[in-house]
Amino acid sequence: MTFLKLENLKVYYPVRGGFFKRVVDNVKAVDDITLELKEGETYGLVGESGCGKSTTGRTLLGLNKATSGKIIFNDVDLLSLNRREYSQYRKDIQMIFQDPYSSLNPRKRVIDIIAEPIRNFEKLSSKEVKRKVQEVLEKVGLSPESIYKYPHEFSGGQRQRIGIARALTLNPRLIVADEPVSALDVSVQAQVLNFMKDIQKEFNLTYLFISHDLGIIRHMCDRIGIMYKGRIVEQGTTEDIYENPQHIYTKRLLSAIPDINPDNRDKHMAFRKQVDAEFNNSFNQYFDTEGKIVDLRPLSETHSVALP
Amino acid sequence: MSKQPLLKINNLSTSFRIGDDYYAAVDDVSLTVNENEVVAIVGESGCGKSALALSIMQLHPQERTKMAGEVLFNGKNLLSLSVSEMNKVRGKDMGMIFQDPLTALNPLMRVGQQIEESMKNHLQLSDAEMKKRSLELLNKVGIPNPERTYMQYPHELSGGMRQRVVIAIAIACEPKFLIADEPTTALDVTIQAQILDLMRDLQSQMKTGIILITHDLGVVAEMADKVAVMYAGEIVEFADVSTLYNNPLHPYTRSLFNSIPSAAHGQDRLHVIQGIVPSLKNLPRTGCRFSERIPWIDSATHEEHPALHEVEKDHFVRCSCYQHFHFPKDAEDLKYDIS
Amino acid sequence: MLKFIIRRFLVMIPQLALLSILIFLLAKAMPGDALTGSMQANPNLDPKVFEELREKLGLNDPWYEQYGRWIGNLFQGELGMSYIHKVDIADLLGDRMANTFWLGLVTLIFTYLIAVPLGVVAGRWNESWADKLIVGYNYVSFAIPLFVFALIMLFIFGFGLHWFPIGGSVDVTVEKGTFAYFLSRIHHLLLPAITAALLSTVGTIQYLRNEIIDTKLKDFVKTARAKGTPEKKVYSRHIFRNSLLPVAAFLGYDIVFIIGGSVFIEQIFSYPGLGQLFISSINQRDFSVVNILVMLFGFLSILGTLISDIILSIVDPRIRID
Repeated sequence: MTFLKLENLKVYYPVRGGFFKRVVDNVKAVDDITLELKEGETYGLVGESGCGKSTTGRTLLGLNKATSGKIIFNDVDLLSLNRREYSQYRKDIQMIFQDPYSSLNPRKRVIDIIAEPIRNFEKLSSKEVKRKVQEVLEKVGLSPESIYKYPHEFSGGQRQRIGIARALTLNPRLIVADEPVSALDVSVQAQVLNFMKDIQKEFNLTYLFISHDLGIIRHMCDRIGIMYKGRIVEQGTTEDIYENPQHIYTKRLLSAIPDINPDNRDKHMAFRKQVDAEFNNSFNQYFDTEGKIVDLRPLSETHSVALP
Repeated sequence: MSKQPLLKINNLSTSFRIGDDYYAAVDDVSLTVNENEVVAIVGESGCGKSALALSIMQLHPQERTKMAGEVLFNGKNLLSLSVSEMNKVRGKDMGMIFQDPLTALNPLMRVGQQIEESMKNHLQLSDAEMKKRSLELLNKVGIPNPERTYMQYPHELSGGMRQRVVIAIAIACEPKFLIADEPTTALDVTIQAQILDLMRDLQSQMKTGIILITHDLGVVAEMADKVAVMYAGEIVEFADVSTLYNNPLHPYTRSLFNSIPSAAHGQDRLHVIQGIVPSLKNLPRTGCRFSERIPWIDSATHEEHPALHEVEKDHFVRCSCYQHFHFPKDAEDLKYDIS
Repeated sequence: MLKFIIRRFLVMIPQLALLSILIFLLAKAMPGDALTGSMQANPNLDPKVFEELREKLGLNDPWYEQYGRWIGNLFQGELGMSYIHKVDIADLLGDRMANTFWLGLVTLIFTYLIAVPLGVVAGRWNESWADKLIVGYNYVSFAIPLFVFALIMLFIFGFGLHWFPIGGSVDVTVEKGTFAYFLSRIHHLLLPAITAALLSTVGTIQYLRNEIIDTKLKDFVKTARAKGTPEKKVYSRHIFRNSLLPVAAFLGYDIVFIIGGSVFIEQIFSYPGLGQLFISSINQRDFSVVNILVMLFGFLSILGTLISDIILSIVDPRIRID
């Protein structure tokens, strides 16, 4: 059974121009990617801003429209479903947003924020709703009495937990976490990351973890896909990627992470300069004749790279 | 002892008015920056590191701010200068690099104008000389096509290019001292690496003294000569970078290191600092300010009036609690604060 | 830019066509027609005469034929006849349009002369007593109805102090083309213009004040200060320019607003302009005139949005139109 598979997914945005505003070109935000997630694992999607990683996550949730391709979830292609059929599957996939300060409506109480998905997908009496909200609040380690508070009464980490509680209310199986901790201080970040690991074990969740922070990705993920210009350039287990990177872009990304040991400073800088030079020299050979990054080629069972 | 300190901060306190009362965001901080030296100030948001940076430049709104102590720059106390005297120092003798290159540039002015503004303020140059110098600066900060960028508006540039422009502005009058406030936080890693390389190159060419404000311990490891760790408005630990990274002592410093994923290879759980960074109004003002976040440590180990102790040469730690600090056992670990 | 303007004008055509059909039908649906007024004035005349007249003027044709005729004439520059005044509408509009234009322009100038400095003072020194005073004025001018305020102004400065004339656009005794004629026109303009201006400053002041308060805290202002830029220049070069953007954007709408707003002012100050003509034409069922005026107002408001877009694209480099 396929838990989740994105097959040849493309998301293009039209560029309009000319006197009559006709479509003259496309911005290829996601350009033909294929990836598969196994149940219970954490798959990390890494890349720099504009590489298409967030668009991929949002398309999975139906927040962006796919241009072509398939999103197979539980053996069903979500893109071929009509609205009603889709909403059945939609509640199995939830999202955690980046900024806990702006993703919670400041004028709504915690109970209304968390109950929103329940009210959208299930018909429950207000008493049942309240009970359910208190339940998930307890799950995320917040006091059940806090349901009538407003978001500003919580700290950043607590707010992110409210966001997670909202995602958990419908017992989802897959959670798309789009930069869930980038807006948080390190100590709060640690708290949220630990917590995400805990609930993953408890509820057998699968994560699509989107981030630009390679340290966090390494800590959290089982498998990783490196995205660059709308394409996946390398995919493998965390070990494959960090110990044995093959694509020059992956190498460059990894060499750019600051080394936490100040005594390695000069060595690390020299290494980075060397990788940068290699990147600039061999850059072109990773594209095909049309300027598209070449397709992935398997190196081992787990590891594949977009090499010519 | 041949080095003359470029900047010497003595017992600086900066307080902000909230309602009718003043609350100190920077509390009795002393710090020295020498020529050709990078001093990093590390801490989480709300620890007072940005407030300290803006205090040196005196960029806080005057009507809501009280400052006490001394900021000696080349032997001159900046706090005693008038606004117009201070304007002669800002931009000329000290420059500042801000966090977000998008908002740090005026959207309605061309890049060239923004670089030249600083020269107009401080140097008597003709328009042609200023343009020549601007183009040189743009070239120096690694902008591929200076002539073109000179005429562009900020929104036409990428984030990395904008930050280069911000740096060009800061060094336009070749200041001896720079403050960089989270200069790479808003950038992607590869761009961050480029900007850090650029700053290091410029620093070694110009022998600038730099205060680097950041929350990123990786950036500190790459850039700094000395590190000051701040918590709740105070410096809690100070040492040169190698000493601090190999032998962190203060409980806060150790907690920070243990909570970042990149330093915790293979470790399944990250350390979580209990509680939250107190808000300015609720800062503990007596005793060890970090004590409430390490409640499992015997309160008798804290000093009543914690002072900075020189525990080895040039390595300072506040309060004596570090001698007894240990990380919590599993049972105590990760207690969600319920509010 | 030129492309953009042409495209906007092309879009304007269907908008205006729809508007013209709408107002034509509405005018038809109103009780009475162009002859109703004369019928009431001459109750002794035989209704048959009017019936013949209707037939002759084409008032009994189906609406689309009448509409087609009207639009056809419009395209040839024939605005039609006013049934009441028995003159060509073009002649009727000519002088009044000029009157309204001057009144509108002077009002606009006064509005900005008052609003910009007040907004700047309130924004720069916000929370000061001056700011509180200006915000207070804003509340009052927003709350007070135009016609009440206009009557008070007219009573005090017109009837009471005799500083300004109480009606008309020019003194009948002065000769056209002389300097005295010019002065007399200005004299007649001033009171209605100041009155209207005092009440139309609210938006500009409020916007400018809020923008300045926001902009003061922006990072690029800190950058400017960090360069050692003196406070005065920080304001003039960085804060004000950025704060004026929304005000500039409103300029286009303001032009239309002031012409629309003059309807009441002209009526109260008996100032012979388009607004006054509009009201009296409605009262007299002079629909050929009303239709033309509504078309004109419609055209102006579409033009206003276009002007606003163009102004914004000029002052803000981030907005590009092509």
